[in-house]
Amino acid sequence: MATQTKEADFRTCPVTTLQVHRPAELLITANAVTAVVFLTVGGILALLLALTRWQAVHLLPADWFYTFLTAHGITMLVFWIVFFEVAGLYFGSSVLLNGRLVAPKVGWVAFGLMLAGALLAELMIFTGQADVMFTAYVPLKAHPLFYLGIILFAVGALVAVYLFFASVVVAKHERRHTGSLPLVTFGLVVAAIIAAFTLISGAITFIPAFFWSVGLLETYDPAAYRLLFWAFGHSAQQINLAAMVAIWYALATLTVGATPINEKLSRMAFLLYILFINLGSIHHLMVDPGLSVVYKITNTSYIMYLAVLGSMIHAYSIPAAVEVAQRAKGYSKGLFQWLWRAPWGEPGFSALVVSMVLFGFLGGVSGVIQGMMQLNMMIHNTIRVVGHFHATVVGGTTVAFMGLTYYIIPLIMRRDIISKGLARIQPYVYGSGLFLLIVGMMLSGDMGVPRRSWDIYATGGAFTTQFPAFTDVTLAMLGIGAIVAVIGGAMFVYLAVFSLLFGKDLRK
Amino acid sequence: MAQGEKTKRKIHAPGTLVLVFVFLAWFIALYVLQWSLLARGWPIR
Repeated sequence: MATQTKEADFRTCPVTTLQVHRPAELLITANAVTAVVFLTVGGILALLLALTRWQAVHLLPADWFYTFLTAHGITMLVFWIVFFEVAGLYFGSSVLLNGRLVAPKVGWVAFGLMLAGALLAELMIFTGQADVMFTAYVPLKAHPLFYLGIILFAVGALVAVYLFFASVVVAKHERRHTGSLPLVTFGLVVAAIIAAFTLISGAITFIPAFFWSVGLLETYDPAAYRLLFWAFGHSAQQINLAAMVAIWYALATLTVGATPINEKLSRMAFLLYILFINLGSIHHLMVDPGLSVVYKITNTSYIMYLAVLGSMIHAYSIPAAVEVAQRAKGYSKGLFQWLWRAPWGEPGFSALVVSMVLFGFLGGVSGVIQGMMQLNMMIHNTIRVVGHFHATVVGGTTVAFMGLTYYIIPLIMRRDIISKGLARIQPYVYGSGLFLLIVGMMLSGDMGVPRRSWDIYATGGAFTTQFPAFTDVTLAMLGIGAIVAVIGGAMFVYLAVFSLLFGKDLRK
Repeated sequence: MAQGEKTKRKIHAPGTLVLVFVFLAWFIALYVLQWSLLARGWPIR
């Protein structure tokens, strides 16, 4: 492990003048590229699944549907997101602080553990030995190597989080960065604190599951498992939330030169996430008999709102920062000239707006509403819940990550984007597809269409189910939206991969 | 705001304020709609 900063290990970014630590640069690239590979796999699965949920098409047979649904959930919610977040953590702790990643070799060990764990879990899923869905609810039992894969991945990610904290501390200690942390890095610190809680919870959940699967543990209480699982499962999405908001601030700065209108308030909003957001996880357990109603409602309808307050602050602060920056440039006519004259052709800006709109108007609002006990009873286990988290994790987080990628490629990987015209429209194509997909899911769920069901009518069963005829329309929206979104996703993968391989070398 | 900046800026963001109220109206509309659907799903007889 290097103990001192070697200036030869750094290069100066000609655009931002930031000092880029070369070993960190390699790790950022490796994690980001791996993330995009998993995004590609997850996206292909998404198309197949959506064309099965569209009951008029009903593409996959039942066994493939559940195998692919498990793979899609874990690939997208865990592997794509966490690999990209690790790249973001390394970026925030080294490049943004002009510092170094303290132990790059440990970073490679973390990367190896995460990759080995992810591949092991995928292997078990695709060979049909882990058809347990993302939740892997006990008593559904998967092959022991599936649990081992998840544990290896979590340990690797935990090591990466440790590296992040260590690098931030060392950057301050070596005075590579003085004063308060930049807001983006501060947001990533919050994400990393939530990540530490999440990954330890994951270990507490899956290590007993591993012992249970190999027969060393006779039973595993399903209610206890669910409680433990959601300390991991939903908290993982709160890492995304904090990282996404940090990236929103970054994109606002990179695209229009916005600076936070009240940085202390923004930091306080991030702190609200640490204190309160994980308590919202209890909304997954609204119908669990083991927890009292008072406990459920206190967590999901009272304490949780303090975290929502944090999101409200960001939701006002970021557009206001953009407006102030735009008005300072002279776009101050009327109420909205600043908005009309914004750089809509800049993929970083359009990704910011698409991400904020889908996350706020669809994901955030639906989450607050359906987290309430009485309303939750109406939509629990329907596809509306799936619509909610596609709005937050895909519409919000993934779109924000895509927007940032358009800057990581030239700044970190030093390759020019190969087709700027395609990049200009990509966030709109992806976002409009997602809008149709999410609204299709939410409307279908409101009419009672269940989640995770291959055949919603239970054809041939003891009891069959009927739905309003309008579900034919809403499920078609879901399918068409998925096709458009996958086209937008494919555009992103094409732009990212081909820019990296064939983009103009900006070092020359 | 830049580190150490002492002067206070006056924040002038009326457009954002309008957007905030649009968001609030959207939230209220959806909230009422959901309660309406709940009432239909669980009628009191």
